[in-house]
Amino acid sequence: MSGKPLGLVFFPAFDWAISPTHPEREERLLYTRDQIVEEGLLDMDTIREYKPRLALREDLERVHVCVPNIMSLITDAHRVSAGGAITAAEAVMRGETARSFALVRPPGHHAMRVVHGTRGFCTINIEAIMIEYLRRHYGIGRVAVVDTDVHHGDGTQDIFYHDPDTLFISFHQDGRTLYPGSGFTNEMGSPPAFGSTINLPLPPGTNDEGLHTILDELILPVLADFQPDLIINSAGQDNHYSDPLANMAITAQGYARLADKLKADIAVLEGGYSIEDALPYVNVGIILAMAGMDYSKVIEPDIANSVRHQADSTTAYIRNLIADRRAVWNARDSLQKEAIQKAGNLWRRQKGIYYDDSGIQERQTESVHICPHCRGYLTIATEAQGGRFACQSAFIAVSWRDSCGRCRAAARDEVMQAKKQRQYQHYFLQDLYQDTLEKI
Amino acid sequence: MWLGIDVGGTFTDAVVIANGEILAQAKAPTTHTDLLSGILAAVDLVMHGMVCSGVERVALSTTIVTNAVVQGKTDTVGLLLLPGPGVNLNKMLPELPITLAGYVDHRGRETSLPDEKEVIKACEQLQDRSALAVVGKFAVRNPRQELQVARWVKEQLPGRHVTAGSSISGALNFWRRTNSAYYNSAVHRHFGEFSTAITTALQQRQITAPVFVLKADGGTLPLVVAEQNPVETIFTGPAASVLGIMAMTAPSGETVSLDVGGTTTDIALWQDGLPLFASRGARINGFPTAVRAFWMRSVGIGGDSFVRWEGEQIKVGPMRLGPAMALGGEYPTVSDALIVAGHVHFGDRAAAMKAMEKLTRNGGSSENTAALVLEAAATIIHQEIDAMILEQAAEPVYKVDDIINGRPIAPELLIGVGGAAPGLAPLVAKIRGIDYQTPPGAMVANAVGAAVARPTTEVTLRADTSQGIYTVAELGLRQKLTKRSLTPTDVRDLARQHLRERAVQSGINFETAEVVYEEEFNLVRGFSTIGKILTCRLQVKPGVLRAICGKEGVL
Ligand SMILES: [Zn+2]
Ligand SMILES: [Zn+2]
Repeated sequence: MSGKPLGLVFFPAFDWAISPTHPEREERLLYTRDQIVEEGLLDMDTIREYKPRLALREDLERVHVCVPNIMSLITDAHRVSAGGAITAAEAVMRGETARSFALVRPPGHHAMRVVHGTRGFCTINIEAIMIEYLRRHYGIGRVAVVDTDVHHGDGTQDIFYHDPDTLFISFHQDGRTLYPGSGFTNEMGSPPAFGSTINLPLPPGTNDEGLHTILDELILPVLADFQPDLIINSAGQDNHYSDPLANMAITAQGYARLADKLKADIAVLEGGYSIEDALPYVNVGIILAMAGMDYSKVIEPDIANSVRHQADSTTAYIRNLIADRRAVWNARDSLQKEAIQKAGNLWRRQKGIYYDDSGIQERQTESVHICPHCRGYLTIATEAQGGRFACQSAFIAVSWRDSCGRCRAAARDEVMQAKKQRQYQHYFLQDLYQDTLEKI
Repeated sequence: MWLGIDVGGTFTDAVVIANGEILAQAKAPTTHTDLLSGILAAVDLVMHGMVCSGVERVALSTTIVTNAVVQGKTDTVGLLLLPGPGVNLNKMLPELPITLAGYVDHRGRETSLPDEKEVIKACEQLQDRSALAVVGKFAVRNPRQELQVARWVKEQLPGRHVTAGSSISGALNFWRRTNSAYYNSAVHRHFGEFSTAITTALQQRQITAPVFVLKADGGTLPLVVAEQNPVETIFTGPAASVLGIMAMTAPSGETVSLDVGGTTTDIALWQDGLPLFASRGARINGFPTAVRAFWMRSVGIGGDSFVRWEGEQIKVGPMRLGPAMALGGEYPTVSDALIVAGHVHFGDRAAAMKAMEKLTRNGGSSENTAALVLEAAATIIHQEIDAMILEQAAEPVYKVDDIINGRPIAPELLIGVGGAAPGLAPLVAKIRGIDYQTPPGAMVANAVGAAVARPTTEVTLRADTSQGIYTVAELGLRQKLTKRSLTPTDVRDLARQHLRERAVQSGINFETAEVVYEEEFNLVRGFSTIGKILTCRLQVKPGVLRAICGKEGVL
């Protein structure tokens, strides 16, 4: 232990819900609060609690392009939870804490760069906002995000899909059996960032043993290779055996040992909806592990109800998955060259995105403009149907922090050209070098 | 006629109050190894020439519990815990506990049962302990197991005091309840002896009025009630001080108070006529407890603070090198500056002038130097007030509304008590651009505070309508609800009923009880609402029974 405490930003948002009976409701962290306070965790010298700051509009627009505009899509609670993640990270950056845990809601990992509404309970991506904040204000470069939520972190993947400096690793229940239905192994990043997205879909019923095999034999070695400046854990807790929205078999001990081995600099709560039987224990386990304290006694009272045995087919599948992903990781440089060659100067993909909480269906075309001198730039054409705003379309160009002058100018030109053609309702230019989002 | 006594670090003060005025005051040296003799000396002095049988109320702010802990006059305590799953506290307690089976979860449901045989075996190991403490995790949500184990322990180890954690505090925090219960048992016998001795000694003096003891949270307890919860009477000095201020000035709105002593200034922030409480309980021997206390911050500025130049800056405190030069000391102090500036009048003014001359640079006048010194001292206090306001604003909150609409405290009034306050308080107030008051009679503020402190009590009622039960932790109560659905008003009424019972038992007036905390959550399972969890903490708040006029003439 470094002697510094764990920073804890606890923000249960006791007055905020998506709707009264929604899983994201006031009650979600009530029992977690009870357990944390009853254990005395907030009084221990090894833990320092922080009040979340309020994220600013510029913090959010460094990541998101909200259509039609940001203020019509978010609530104050979103600014607090994003601000909470930033507060947690800043405590680490200022050297006040060894690590930090933003135990906040609402969550964010299903929110993509373009936002039309709320999907998978998420409106803005609080980890991505935090990471880009750290890059802007603290000069952080390489970041690894390990998403341990049972659902694929498709929003985080989307935001960093073209960024070779952000390694995104997500393990989750197989997308064929669970929302959001993505996160397959062949999603590996666009050519400029090939290999920096690693998806590890797992069969329902995977238990602590399976999870820790994949952690020890794949995730930790890959992290060691990547040598990030910071490791971020999207610490969803719905892999727990009692979670009502998924079918995995992880225990509080499984999660605590994961936190202990991962040694994330910053963890941010994501999902987890077994609010009475899992969250109080999983959160205490993660806090203790991150604070370097004894977590061996954090065991669910109903542990007897847990699924202990993992199907042999699952164990075999995990072995294969590890071998397969390691091979790709080891060959990533040559595979990336191939991908860039194949793409030429333009890589394009089309996506359909469903906003379950807002009833919106979005069609998106992403075009990555590949440049020999830099990471190129990105254009996004988006059309959304349904929800509060009925029909919304936009054309967006994004140039990166390190895009070359020519790419930044080309990005601007493309939006200007598109505007002249009047095919869309809104036009945006996100220039991350200038740290601006302009409505054109 | 009310008698108030404050046992301080150096002196034991006593005051007699009648009709809102201080009739008499007296001082006797505090006798640390035998507090009672110092207390009785002060009582005899202050009651000189008065009719003892006319005393209607005696109230005491004492260091008896603090001294017992500091001087090791505590009993050996056997600690029995029902911790269930969670943090391993074994190395974070004053005593290695014996861990027992049994667990109550966060909703108060029993998920495993205690085992009498295991308790009997544990008691065999604890034969040599003079007192015991039994604490169960979440016993405030359901005290049944904790009380059951406590009964088994009493059967096995008769005649020894057993503290149950939930009787100490109705609030969540197993760690703090455990430490509180431990120290409660540790000081129980010592406090009991003191209580008997003082009752007897007062009776011998024909003082038969009820005796109250001050608590750290500013409330008072009848002596017999305090005998059960002696740990609550630790660290009452700050409480006595702010109650004294309350009695003599009755501040409303947002206020800052200064108690300027010889070496330190104690600062408190006030809201709605009450000082803010510390967000965490007090520490005893470094162990965090559930004992609630007012939030005070001490800064090293007082009348005796040493004044000197460091480079181009005049520096004040935090050290004290001796008394003021006006009182024969060797080095210039804040008091010397106050005397030269004409704010206070004691000692040798010529010596004080000399002190300022010693500090004067570039041929300025002694008066200018004194002003410079006081300005420097006031600035340090001012900065400490700002730091407190920032710290208070950084306290975590758990609702969006509190983040968006919360605002830092902005004191509009400054109240100064203590010897150097008349000089320093106006300067601090001037820097802050606010009004000030320096009430007379402040020299015995602590004893006055004790004399008029209101007896307090509280209950925490938590109803869980889906389980159809409610608990009142402080009463060890868990009962069936008669109604299926409850409103916050129903819960308040129910809490008031139980508070009344508790208050009547202890002879406390409950009319002024207020809701100090409330929570209401819907319980949703599978997308339908199946009940509510409602919490209400009702309290007879700390305060003063009547205002006191500290007339200069009498003092
Ligand atoms: Zn999830
Ligand atoms: Zn370029």
